Amino acid sequence: MLKYLIVMLDRASVPFCHHEPAEKNEGLISAADLKNAIRFGMKENLVIQFVYPDRAIPAELENIIETIDHVKIKPYPSGKDDVLVADIGAIPQKAENETLVIRASIQELAEKVSEVENAIYRFKRVNIILKEPDSISEEDAGAYKLFLDRLTYYIAGQTASGKELPQFNLLTDRILLDKMNNCGAGDESITIAPDGKMYVCPAFYYDGDAPVEWDKEEGLQLPNAQLYRLDHAPICRACDAFQCHRCVWLNRRRTLEVNTPGHTQCILSHHERNASRNLLGRLREAGIAATLKDIPELDYLDPFEIVK
Amino acid sequence: MDGIKSNKVIWKDGTAKNITFIVTKDCQLACKYCYLVGKNEKERMSWQVAKSAIDYILDHKSDFNEESVIWDFIGGEPFLEIDLIDQICDYIKKELYIRGHHWFNSYRFNFSTNGINYDSEKVQQFIAKNREHLSIGITIDGTRRKHDLNRIWKGDGPEKGSYDDVVRNIPLWLKQFPHGGTKVTISSADIPYIKESVLHLYSLGIHEVNINAVFEDVWKEGDDDLFEQQLTELADAIIDGGWYEDYACSFYSENIGKPLDPVYDNTNWCGAGRMLAVDAAGNFYPCTRFAAYSLRSKKPLIIGNVHDGIDRDKLRPFLTLDRTTQSPQNCIDCEVASGCAWCQGENYDAAESPTIYQRATAICKMHKARVRANNYYWNKLFRKLELEGRREEYEANRKTSNPILPC
Repeated sequence: MLKYLIVMLDRASVPFCHHEPAEKNEGLISAADLKNAIRFGMKENLVIQFVYPDRAIPAELENIIETIDHVKIKPYPSGKDDVLVADIGAIPQKAENETLVIRASIQELAEKVSEVENAIYRFKRVNIILKEPDSISEEDAGAYKLFLDRLTYYIAGQTASGKELPQFNLLTDRILLDKMNNCGAGDESITIAPDGKMYVCPAFYYDGDAPVEWDKEEGLQLPNAQLYRLDHAPICRACDAFQCHRCVWLNRRRTLEVNTPGHTQCILSHHERNASRNLLGRLREAGIAATLKDIPELDYLDPFEIVK
Repeated sequence: MDGIKSNKVIWKDGTAKNITFIVTKDCQLACKYCYLVGKNEKERMSWQVAKSAIDYILDHKSDFNEESVIWDFIGGEPFLEIDLIDQICDYIKKELYIRGHHWFNSYRFNFSTNGINYDSEKVQQFIAKNREHLSIGITIDGTRRKHDLNRIWKGDGPEKGSYDDVVRNIPLWLKQFPHGGTKVTISSADIPYIKESVLHLYSLGIHEVNINAVFEDVWKEGDDDLFEQQLTELADAIIDGGWYEDYACSFYSENIGKPLDPVYDNTNWCGAGRMLAVDAAGNFYPCTRFAAYSLRSKKPLIIGNVHDGIDRDKLRPFLTLDRTTQSPQNCIDCEVASGCAWCQGENYDAAESPTIYQRATAICKMHKARVRANNYYWNKLFRKLELEGRREEYEANRKTSNPILPC
């Protein structure tokens, strides 16, 4: 069931997820399309998220945006709002009550781990999104594990010394979840692009996919829509890496099917899951988090092994 | 009990790795029901591509850990490339020996041929050389009128059937392969000739007739009724004529037409992805049906090539695919689901989006018609055995399951 509507205000809207930014081929959404998008979101009871480009948008559009409750996703440093998106090389030093999305490669994470550590306690929430996930190798996955292990020690130490457990997508989400909480593109969320048309997510728009139609009686006219749901994903429905993005776009790039993740994606998510398990263990050793649910030990890093 | 011949027993119980060389996309025939929409005379496999494929496969032993292997040769018509095939088979045998490979002496060379070149000197030399490791099936569709309805020579001018050119080689083939079976394909126009065709093939001495109704959406209103009628009449003829003692027809199986449990009977029907096919360009496919020349409306689904190897991520959807995830709810709830087959390639080709996870159901009404005729067949046969006092003997010796026949 749809819950979220993402509205890209410009073709060069900030990439807040795995996809790469568009070339500076600017193309603002029209006022009419923006109004229609908002009207659609209101009628379908959707939470609306507006994704901004790295430049000011006309006052006319801003005024339309303010006609509805919403979340703003903006690039740093031009924005200062609900969700900021920053490259790891330009993490904001001052923050208020925002969520920060850090886009980084694994190599950059390994090199700038202390900057991530500092950010985790400055923001309400930090999400790390891996850039160019398509080119991540198994060797990179090893470096990712080391990065996660270091953060596990850091967060456990800080929490033990009295700080509140932060919200950090890679390590604390899994501790707090008891079922899958994934991206949900094509199932729980849908994107309206600057052309006024509907797509599974911004990455599908950039890939040149055909737009998806909406029927007010039948809902989303997405061919084989069931494949975007967890119950039609044989590997994922057997998995307990609840924090995984389960990115349908990345799935399709790697395996040609939206419901099937590639091997590396599963490995990375299981490193996050296992590091979360280690963090939970350390918190318990410090007398914290006793009431949280166990994360069981696994003897695999890729649930494909138990499904095939 | 010798009394009822059962369907084909598959070599190594179907556990062998199946590796297919698409040696040519050319064929002497232009069969009307052929799913190969992109046949041509240009795409012939080179020795270099074939050798690279074999080297890749044998170099990656751990990725091919099945105990046995079936090296399949397909076209078009594979025997048009008998020189290349001979070279490939010699190389495989030599390499298996040199490498001490676990497939040495646990391999078959398998062919599905239109039978036209069967008696040629080169093909006969090849058969003599590889006799102990060879399976060859000749496709003959039945009576002359049934066969010539679809299996015609390619080219301009008036239609010319190929029956005479094939049937003349049947005695030689059966002499060399007495247990050889033939594969018959049924589409809409063939239905009225099913009974006469199966009986004709029996009369030619072919003991194993494997028949498939095509998976494509070709069926017309009323085809199911006619199909059921033909299979019922065929059941009468087989049982009344005592053919069932020594001859088998894959239409009739004790195990079809039952409901399937969504948890315990949830395996995929098709072996795509567990097989491997390679074409003239050196591309790897999960099965030949995913190569460009087999597809009407989708892009080829390539999973690698002889230079870069197999992209194992692209195999994951195939290896995790189950029955219920790809089936619509009415198939999951179907009371006669068992034995209802599908082809993953046709599913992909017919799907609304590029996915292997949407089951094509064009065959549904034909399956249900088959189930009704199949029920009739077994009820009639069991009653006959009962009256002859042979039913208990049959029950004591019955097989627990019939093998799934390859497509």
